[in-house]
Amino acid sequence: MTAPGGLPTEYGPLVGELGRRAIERRQPVNGTFELTERCNLNCTMCYVRQPAGHAALRAGELSPRAWLELTLQAMENGMVFLLLTGGEVFLRPDFFEIYTPLTRLGLLLTLFTNGTLITDAIARRLAEAPPSRTEITLYGATAATYEAVTGVPGSFGRCLAGIEALRKYRVPLGLKSTLTTRNVGELEAMRKMAAAWDLPFSAAWLLTKRRDQAPCGVAGCRMSAAQCVELEATDRASASEWRERALRGAPSENEKNFYCAAGKAAFVVNSRGEMSPCLDLIQPAARPLESGFREAWQEVQAFVDSAPPLAPLCRACEVRDYCPRCPAFSVLETGSLSEPVPYLCEIAHARKERYGPHSE
Amino acid sequence: MKHKTDCMMQNIAGENLLVPLGARVLDLNGLMTLNETAAFIWALLDQERTLDELIAAVAERFEVPSAVARADIQTFLAEITRLGLLEE
Repeated sequence: MTAPGGLPTEYGPLVGELGRRAIERRQPVNGTFELTERCNLNCTMCYVRQPAGHAALRAGELSPRAWLELTLQAMENGMVFLLLTGGEVFLRPDFFEIYTPLTRLGLLLTLFTNGTLITDAIARRLAEAPPSRTEITLYGATAATYEAVTGVPGSFGRCLAGIEALRKYRVPLGLKSTLTTRNVGELEAMRKMAAAWDLPFSAAWLLTKRRDQAPCGVAGCRMSAAQCVELEATDRASASEWRERALRGAPSENEKNFYCAAGKAAFVVNSRGEMSPCLDLIQPAARPLESGFREAWQEVQAFVDSAPPLAPLCRACEVRDYCPRCPAFSVLETGSLSEPVPYLCEIAHARKERYGPHSE
Repeated sequence: MKHKTDCMMQNIAGENLLVPLGARVLDLNGLMTLNETAAFIWALLDQERTLDELIAAVAERFEVPSAVARADIQTFLAEITRLGLLEE
């Protein structure tokens, strides 16, 4: 009786198929709550990067009661998956006042953290009602590199202690890394660390500018397009995806600007209670706690549906199917929802060069 | 019999899923999808039921012979027993 309706039985493909069906029905099945923008680390490449002690931001963060109210309304409208992220979620002293009630509602919870504030007591408490998955970002395999990225002495040791604590209490855990020019040399060492712990590991290297448009050092952290594609090739799943795409040959007919689940089956609520389609976009900043969730979700959908189409340059582009551009990336780089992003154009060309019809 | 309370039925795009609650996440890390019959039986098991009550309800709801209903029910009960989701 499992896997009815032609659904896949493996977890990843099953969630993917359910997500696709949720998009068709516009069911807001995937929620993300950004509990705080504040973080105890100070990574140059971070798209949020607000100081831990920022009093005004802290004062504006939603209370545990407000998060619960929002959750209940979102569930009435179909939310089943909920990601709690930051900033650093464990900077909130009331984290468990937010988290614990959510564990009783029938949600599939995921937690993103840097791990550096996870003590034995926190791990033990999480294990009483663990999230389906916790993801910790590693910024290096050595203290020197990790702390060169995070800017905080002692943070590497605290991250390792957090990982060990979660493993001790069997809290479901995966590791990931955000790669920059500073830590990319330790990618293999990070993969080996994860393997030694028997933990899944993934890496990301498409760095965006800051969401608040404040000056940032991301340009100095980014790898060249050629380096990005070289790195991507070391990840079997990504490389297979691009090879398959190249074999399909025919260019995509999809002219839609928003091509992912954002604003169709997914939404984000930031620490002030403003709703948008994804973490990288601050628009339309709908207010579910004031208007009600349903109306805010409609506003977010309308924002996505009324987005301008692809720019003519992108529509005519021969490497469009290899391009990672999305409206959020365009906004962060150009201020427009649809303009091409030169860095991503370079990556798309490098991908086609590697995987396209003339690459063999 | 009835089902334990550390799983909850949810719906995504018309598909029914069992989602683990609390520490059950550690034993049942993932999703269990239920077809219409299984979802109906799970909902019946919100309360204490006998096998005969389940058979009668399934036979009536899906207009199937009792023997067919019994077979479906026993398959589902075996599965949720294996997963430790049934109180007896």
